[in-house]
Amino acid sequence: MHTQIITESENFASRIVQMFENVIHQGHGSLALVFLIGIIFGGIIQYTRVDKFEKIAGFSMLKDTIVPKMLFLAVGITSIALYFMIEAGWAHYHIKPVIWQGLIIGGTLFGISMAIMGKCPGTGPVSIAEGRIDVLIGAIGGLFGGLVFTLYYEDFFKPLMGESAGKLILPELFPGNEHLVVLIFGVVITLIAILIPKIEMFDEADLSQLTDEERPDKV
Amino acid sequence: MSRLPWWVGGILMSGLLILTFSIFGADRPLGASTYVPYFAGLVFDLDPAKYKYLQDIKNPGSWEGVLLLGALFGGFITSMFITKSFRFSLIPSGWKKYKNNSILSRLLWSFVAGFFMIIGARLAGGCTSGHFMSGMSQMAISSMIFGTVVMISLVVTGKLFYNTEEK
Repeated sequence: MHTQIITESENFASRIVQMFENVIHQGHGSLALVFLIGIIFGGIIQYTRVDKFEKIAGFSMLKDTIVPKMLFLAVGITSIALYFMIEAGWAHYHIKPVIWQGLIIGGTLFGISMAIMGKCPGTGPVSIAEGRIDVLIGAIGGLFGGLVFTLYYEDFFKPLMGESAGKLILPELFPGNEHLVVLIFGVVITLIAILIPKIEMFDEADLSQLTDEERPDKV
Repeated sequence: MSRLPWWVGGILMSGLLILTFSIFGADRPLGASTYVPYFAGLVFDLDPAKYKYLQDIKNPGSWEGVLLLGALFGGFITSMFITKSFRFSLIPSGWKKYKNNSILSRLLWSFVAGFFMIIGARLAGGCTSGHFMSGMSQMAISSMIFGTVVMISLVVTGKLFYNTEEK
């Protein structure tokens, strides 16, 4: 029994090592770079507090708008920069296909779950890292979701997703005016970010840890 | 400063997306939901030879797995030293105010929502990071459909699930 546990954990460790090797050999940045991107990603989410229940579930109740403001601003700026980087050969497209059923059924389930949990798969781990046990339970639920999806992918989920209608981007719908479309899209999305009224729901339990000068609700 | 304003966060996130996309960075989009079934494969010791989905997600899953480890580390360090928000807790203040005081209710709903969140993200092919941020930044039609559906279902659920009347 004892040895069985040891081999089990050794197997698990070797599977983790395999994960690192997959990253090293797939040519999408060095292991250190990917880890660093993760640190910055977690740092930005944590530092802006958008991992909080009050920000995400708060948005679902329309009592906090920090998450959409930040998301739209990031998209607006990136869309313009990225388009010209791709034209210059400094980046490539990685478009996800239009699979109507998958997007609508999946998006609906995702939105419902995001409102109830108050997290998404990117912000959840950041919450766990700051000690939120309820989110850890949610992540275990997610692990089982991933397990069920993997087990029944070919029999159930793939047919449910339906056929791909192709990989489309907005500028392709306006041949000849691509640059104009990109600029309009980027500017409109950025304007949306700025024009969404700023409403905030604060968590007293967090703010009570800070001095009066540090409190965002008192500035 | 213990909190970054939303616009600083948006600009920094944009910089990170551009770094990730660029050939000088990772030459791929930033995503954060494929790692979950990948980890499910690791934890439950599924044989990739038997499951086509695990073969499909081998590269993105492991890439995002390392990203996740970094996010955990970055989130932990920031919460300890900058936002000072690290503490163990079982129920968010907002849940107590707008839903109920039951820890059991919060944990059960968390588990169920976590389960369906990953099913939903994998059906759609992405999440807030992969579809909303990375996909919309490429002006992908699929991501705009996803973003619209999620926004509607999120706000409708928020209205129905919580008692949003001010007490």
